[in-house]
Amino acid sequence: MNRNNILAGVLSLVLLVVFLSVWQMLTTTTTHVAAATSMSPAEVETLTGKGMSGADVEAYSADGLTFDQIDQIAGLGLTRDEINSAGGIQSFGFTTGGAAEEAQTGFPSPTQVWREASEQIFNPFYDRGPNDKGIGIQLQYSLMRVMTGFVLAIIVAVPLGFLVGMSPLWNAAINPYVQVLKPISPLAWLPVALFLIKDSEQASIFVIFICSIWPMLINTAFGVANVKEDWLNIAKTLELSRMKTAFRVILPAAAPTILTGMRISIGIAWLVIVAAEMVIGGVGIGYYVWNEWNGLNLASMIFAIVVIGVVGLILDFALGQALRLIEYKE
Amino acid sequence: MSEYIVRADLLGKSFPGPKRGEENIVFESVNFRLKRGEFVTCIGHSGCGKSTILNILAGLEKPTSGGVLVDGKEVDGPGLDRAVVFQNHSLLPWLSAQDNVDFAVRAKWPEWTEKHVEEHSRRYLSLASLTEGLDRKPHALSGGMRQRVGIARAFALETEVLLMDEPFGALDALTRGSIQDELIKIWSDTRKTVFMITHDVDEAILLSDRIFLMTNGPKANIAEAVVVDIPRPRNRGDIIHYPGYYDIRNHIIDFLVQRSKELSGSVRTVPVEEIKTAGKLVYPPDVNPLNGAIENGSERKLA
Amino acid sequence: MSMDKDPFDPNVDLWNECSERGADENDPPRSVADVLKAPEQVERENNAFLSKRAQGFSSQDPGATMYRALESSLLHSIFKTDVNRRKFLKGVGAATAASVIGSMVPFEALASMAKDAMSNIEKKDLTIGFVPITCATPIIAGHALGFYDKYGLNVDIIKTAGWAVARDKCMNGEYDASHLLAPMPAAMSMGLGSASQDWRMVTNVNTNGQAIVLANKHKDKQDPKDWKGFKFAVPFEYSMHNLLLRLYVAEHGIDPDKDIQIRVVPPPEMVANLRAENVDGYLAPDPFNQRAVYDGVGFIHKLTKEIWDQHPCCCFGISQKFIDENPNTFIVLLTAILDATYTAEMADQRERFAESMAPTNYLNQPEAVLKQILTGVYPDGLGNIKKVPDRISFMPYPTQSMGTWILSQLRRWDYIKSDVDYKSISDQIFLSAETEKNMKDMAAANSDLEWKDIPEVKYPVYDVYGKTYNPDAIQDYITSFDITRVQ
Repeated sequence: MNRNNILAGVLSLVLLVVFLSVWQMLTTTTTHVAAATSMSPAEVETLTGKGMSGADVEAYSADGLTFDQIDQIAGLGLTRDEINSAGGIQSFGFTTGGAAEEAQTGFPSPTQVWREASEQIFNPFYDRGPNDKGIGIQLQYSLMRVMTGFVLAIIVAVPLGFLVGMSPLWNAAINPYVQVLKPISPLAWLPVALFLIKDSEQASIFVIFICSIWPMLINTAFGVANVKEDWLNIAKTLELSRMKTAFRVILPAAAPTILTGMRISIGIAWLVIVAAEMVIGGVGIGYYVWNEWNGLNLASMIFAIVVIGVVGLILDFALGQALRLIEYKE
Repeated sequence: MSEYIVRADLLGKSFPGPKRGEENIVFESVNFRLKRGEFVTCIGHSGCGKSTILNILAGLEKPTSGGVLVDGKEVDGPGLDRAVVFQNHSLLPWLSAQDNVDFAVRAKWPEWTEKHVEEHSRRYLSLASLTEGLDRKPHALSGGMRQRVGIARAFALETEVLLMDEPFGALDALTRGSIQDELIKIWSDTRKTVFMITHDVDEAILLSDRIFLMTNGPKANIAEAVVVDIPRPRNRGDIIHYPGYYDIRNHIIDFLVQRSKELSGSVRTVPVEEIKTAGKLVYPPDVNPLNGAIENGSERKLA
Repeated sequence: MSMDKDPFDPNVDLWNECSERGADENDPPRSVADVLKAPEQVERENNAFLSKRAQGFSSQDPGATMYRALESSLLHSIFKTDVNRRKFLKGVGAATAASVIGSMVPFEALASMAKDAMSNIEKKDLTIGFVPITCATPIIAGHALGFYDKYGLNVDIIKTAGWAVARDKCMNGEYDASHLLAPMPAAMSMGLGSASQDWRMVTNVNTNGQAIVLANKHKDKQDPKDWKGFKFAVPFEYSMHNLLLRLYVAEHGIDPDKDIQIRVVPPPEMVANLRAENVDGYLAPDPFNQRAVYDGVGFIHKLTKEIWDQHPCCCFGISQKFIDENPNTFIVLLTAILDATYTAEMADQRERFAESMAPTNYLNQPEAVLKQILTGVYPDGLGNIKKVPDRISFMPYPTQSMGTWILSQLRRWDYIKSDVDYKSISDQIFLSAETEKNMKDMAAANSDLEWKDIPEVKYPVYDVYGKTYNPDAIQDYITSFDITRVQ
């Protein structure tokens, strides 16, 4: 490792620390506990006159409730038990230091995110029913969908790309469709897929398939069409059959381009699966995000965002490594 | 078996011009023959169509007119009876040096065992002075080594005819020299018919039995075929001391500097007898079509 | 267990409702029975009747609890409130009431039919969809509190992101049954916006349970007249939310199409939009109303209960195909849902239900928010504490009037372009007619079964925001509004 790499690493870490510190500072709010209100004897008497016990009056005022609020409680004839059944006076937002106060600060701090994250990180494979599974299981499902759709796309896109790349006629015939279909947002396919396929699992796989196919198709066609004339001439002078030429010369020659297409595809597929699962629900990392959004649990969502980013990075890295294996220098 | 292994008759190549009905004639009525085991180089300025001629021989391009017979068979596309060494080594970059040669050998003899293929390849690689680094990919080899692999690959096919398109064009002078030596060695060992394009006069004299000199295009043609009668074996060091060396060299350079321009477009019909001889230079009868080049008995009139 | 309470016992509280309604509870019942019997005699007879019933009852016996769920269901549809029920029971006596109501509705036959069904369940493993709002309480808590298990069903409940996806998953057969908006089964059956497939709304899962929430900055704008230029969100265009919001603002002189903007926003996004000031307010299902208060971004302006008490909202839908193929499973599932629904309605069960639904697997909300919603004791975001026990109710009996009311409003706002046969369409939306027909068919096939029509349940007259809504005069109702698109 050279000096520059080390420096870059240190700089990255410093940036992270600065970012986290600023974030922590901005999201830490001083929880001021409301001062206990003091009641005049006349007020206490009014309240006890409405059937509230003196102890309750004292407890409510110690919690910082105003006379009017305690008066309402007394007026409604609410007992302490009834208040507790409704989540307790702390959750009503009149007092401070309770859950409501924390929620009011809005954005979670890094420590809150870490608290949420550590639960998931240290127990990623728990299963508490169909709507609550560990992040590991959610990722498994999402990755399974991505992989299935992705492999299907390879099966279709690569041979088709060969056809298009090798034959200008087919290229001209297919190109208009590719150009029209390519810019369609994959999510726009989702309702159509749901309607036609009648299975949300397969529909989401279809969406992955349809969004993965274009970069691969285009790159395969491009790679195949741009194989160096010399190499094709070699194949010709060696009297290789069309199949042999395709597999022994064109495929290895175009492989880096094809794999680059796959790399683009898997990136898109990973973006899309999150969105698709947010719509379709069930299980998967996108559903996890949606579910936490539904619960307005920002801390978990931030954790999920980080996880999505990291998994995307790993997928990209994996294909990057694969690319290095088949890449050649001229 | 005919004395000539390659016959090119009335080869012509033209492209449609910018205007309708117009034609750009690169060359026309090119005739030549190559003897079995002969080493022939072809020199000419850029654009004279010498690479096109080589490609036509290889079957990679079709002539607009005329045709080529190799061993009595008309060329109708590339084939394993002719091996080609391309201008830029054109090794498959994802295969190692050994694999590149194996790849070609296996294509020619698919029935061979893996071991047989490898031994065969290695033999030709060592003929080209390559015994180490055979598992390296082309990008990890020097330019000279790459071209050696290319030559080994061509010779390993053991074809009667080898076609080389400026194989040393991209190499520095020192490397070029040593590879020339290896080419001489491997050719001497195998005695195949070689047709080679080059820009380098010294290289041509060193390697060739005959040197085709081409006039400038358009409407280029082979104006002269210079017979190099310097005895073999030759080597770079001694050859310049041969008495006729500079005559040949000067003649060729004079051609390239002067006459290739003057004769441009005119060499079509000149009878062999009218060509002036200079020193030991000899013009064989098969260069021009007037001397029975058209064997099918056509009564083609010369313009 | 909730089912320990005998619905024929006039001395127990069954349903979660406002105490104000009990103002005249101790007034002497004004019924014919009052004249016939002395209260003491009635009480004696009641006690004897009830203790006899208690002997034969075990909450561990699914058949017995099923029986009770059905009884409770029917009593609720007849009496609506505990107060009425008590008055009646105290007046005529529980035994008399039981026999009178039993002659109207064949409890015993239904219960024994349900019990038979339990031993012949065709499909034990079921998948039921729900949208994560408190409306789905019976469906969710049915799982969390083991109501499905109790009847021998193995149910997976799957959270669904929105109504369109819920519909698609139903049509695709991924769900055997689902939580749906009340008008959706009809839309699906008629092929509106999707392929046609017969879906049945078998029961309401809730009534009330929605609210109008405004952003905190509008605390001084309690009068809807000040809302000109406001942007409101509703969860679905063809929903009670949209229609109730329109009705409410129009009654205050605000034209919902001209003076304010109404846009569709998925419920989970409502609080975020309110916080970001993208909308000024919304009419949405809970928990997102109380959640806005809890998160300190908005306040509850009005509960929909205050606009139309006991308005319909969500339903439990199931495909006709499923019913045909699994008649026994259907009856058992329906019983489980009814049981969960009526248990959810009980005041002393609300806290338990709220707790059970808080985990991520279900609503994924803070427990306190759910408790505030279900117990009806909550802060309104303006510094007040409110007590509205029937803020959300679980009353399963759908009536045709509800259907015609929805259609009347759709017509009023020009969603329906011309007058239609409201009642016949409503008969398709709300399947009480269908249920009635099924029951009649069953009665015809079984001589022990006698079904008597309950016409007053089919097309009752409602009071909607201070205006009498008579389903027999829909045309007049539509044109009676100041702001209406129909002249």
